[in-house]
Amino acid sequence: MTRAWAETLYDAYGQQFSIDKIYFESGTGHQHLLIFHNSVFGRVMALDGVVQTTQKDEFIYHEMLTHVPLVAHGRVLRALIIGGGDGGILREVCKHRCVEQITQVEIDQAVIDMARKYLPAHSDGAYDDPRANIVIADGVDFISGTSEKFDLIISDSTDPIGPGEVLFSSNFYEKCRRCLNPGGVLVAQNGVPFMQLDEVVGTARKLAPLFQDWYFYTAAVPTYIGGVMSFAWATDDRKLRAATLEQICDNYKASGIRTRYYTPEIHRASFALPGYLLEAIGKRE
Amino acid sequence: MTPFLGDAAIQSLAEEYGTPLFLLDCKTMESQYRSLQRALLGVDFYYAVKALPHDAVIRTLNLCGAGFDIASSGEISLLRRHYINPRSTIHTHPIKKNRDIRDSLRFGCTTFVVDNREELKKFHPFRHRIGLLLRISFPNPDAVVDLSQKFGCVPGEALELLHLARKLGMHVKGLSFHVGSQSRTPAMHVHAIEQCHAIMQEYANHADTPLSTLDIGGGFPVRYCEDVPDIEKFCAPLNAALNKLDDNIHVIAEPGRYLVAAAAMSVTSVTGKSVRNGRNWYYLDDGVYGVYSGKIFDHADYPVRSIRQGVLFPACLAGPTCDSIDIVKEDIAMPLLAPGDLVVGEMMGAYTAATSTDFNSLVRSRIVVLNEPKDTRAVVHIA
Repeated sequence: MTRAWAETLYDAYGQQFSIDKIYFESGTGHQHLLIFHNSVFGRVMALDGVVQTTQKDEFIYHEMLTHVPLVAHGRVLRALIIGGGDGGILREVCKHRCVEQITQVEIDQAVIDMARKYLPAHSDGAYDDPRANIVIADGVDFISGTSEKFDLIISDSTDPIGPGEVLFSSNFYEKCRRCLNPGGVLVAQNGVPFMQLDEVVGTARKLAPLFQDWYFYTAAVPTYIGGVMSFAWATDDRKLRAATLEQICDNYKASGIRTRYYTPEIHRASFALPGYLLEAIGKRE
Repeated sequence: MTPFLGDAAIQSLAEEYGTPLFLLDCKTMESQYRSLQRALLGVDFYYAVKALPHDAVIRTLNLCGAGFDIASSGEISLLRRHYINPRSTIHTHPIKKNRDIRDSLRFGCTTFVVDNREELKKFHPFRHRIGLLLRISFPNPDAVVDLSQKFGCVPGEALELLHLARKLGMHVKGLSFHVGSQSRTPAMHVHAIEQCHAIMQEYANHADTPLSTLDIGGGFPVRYCEDVPDIEKFCAPLNAALNKLDDNIHVIAEPGRYLVAAAAMSVTSVTGKSVRNGRNWYYLDDGVYGVYSGKIFDHADYPVRSIRQGVLFPACLAGPTCDSIDIVKEDIAMPLLAPGDLVVGEMMGAYTAATSTDFNSLVRSRIVVLNEPKDTRAVVHIA
């Protein structure tokens, strides 16, 4: 009999992991952070009873949230990451040599410290990249106060029940839009629509009045259970999403990056949404 | 129920720690838990944390295998401190702020109680994550504390609310009731189980979403000054009624008082005395603003005695505050006492220290925990 940890995201359905070793647990504050080793997924980080990231499948999430907008845009010089304390997004952005400056705004220094210590492969040295500028601040405060402009904003937040809630607000999306250079892109983690359709519908409703082109793309991340995970896509440049496979291939080659999940074919295909989702966001023809 | 501590031991603890003291015995809690388990086989228990939200209680009952019934975010913080498996918790306050719901979900408690339309709507944004219990109200003239006035829908509304929930895409797991605290007879429990059974059957005829849970609340009586049926006898008719339920129904209960009442005693000292209208008045160093607060809030009449023996005279025991309501016992037979004599209140674990105040800036009774189980910190939730 091994010890086990069960996710508490849903009342009537869930995933369970056996625990081989606990690296860290803090449960006495306002949140419960647990990092442990599981034989299938390697190191698993859970916050408030919900899996945040695992060593084994994180590349799918981080590559898709990063490379789809970066390759589509093709000339991102300045990128902003909101959240993403585990460093996975920063690592992927850093792979793009064309990017000149990367600002990451994380609300909690402890998350970064914890991830560097217990999930070192997530950031893989990216925090030492000279292009990276780490700001410890509330994401909404930062974006409300800054006069900087970015070509890409990536919102890598926790789910909207906890402190990540404000990163799903109209106010936040509106401020993001203000901080984007012309043709810039905002992408955001947006939950698993089969389980939480409201999140996608809510985001769609908030993005629609703000951006010329808004949509979602998806990827299946095994530990975000219940089907594919969705990512919100918002920009005023309609051409980016309409890019042909050839253009995407060219940009991908030019970027010089190596990826394990992302391919130009997956990039194109990830924007193909199931009927129920199109219906929910009012995009079904 | 024999007190868990003899007079000599009480005296020596009073000497060691001073008074007022609140002695809490973990062994008694465990034996109360076991006796309730034996009386209600197959029922899962969720300790009503509000009865005595103390670390030693949480630790002891967690080791016994109990779940926890919570009603506030503060109680969640207490459970977090003990790494309680959130899957073994239910949030039973029928009226919640949005913040309470979020705190509970972040903790990992996904079962909630509702009893009306407005409350149901609050859960709409969270509907994919939760399971609900619909609380039904059954007035209980036999309970010392009747809870049916403030909470619960009337049985006639239940089906309508169940169908509304289903229409809104919300998962109602089952029904719950609380016939009142310190129920003197099992009649109302039996009535409520039968009524819920009927509602569940009726609902099953019209819906393809089966109800799986019946929460029979608390109310299991303990013996204060008044005689009550022992727990086996009290539960026998409940078991008979529960046996008629469909085999798929998972039965749970929310005992509070039954688990902790007998596990605590108050030890106070006489600080002064006087004679008023021919009666001896003794002033104690704790009273109804302290651990005897249950006399006011919980309508409880605790067995109180002095350690000193002797010929009995009519007496009044008063608490230490300046308020005239601060009377522990108005009319009690007591030996002649002197300042420094110890007065012991028994059956004082439930709704006592939990509702103590700081009125008059008096220091609260010091809680001393006895027979605490070894702290085998369950670091993570064992499935």
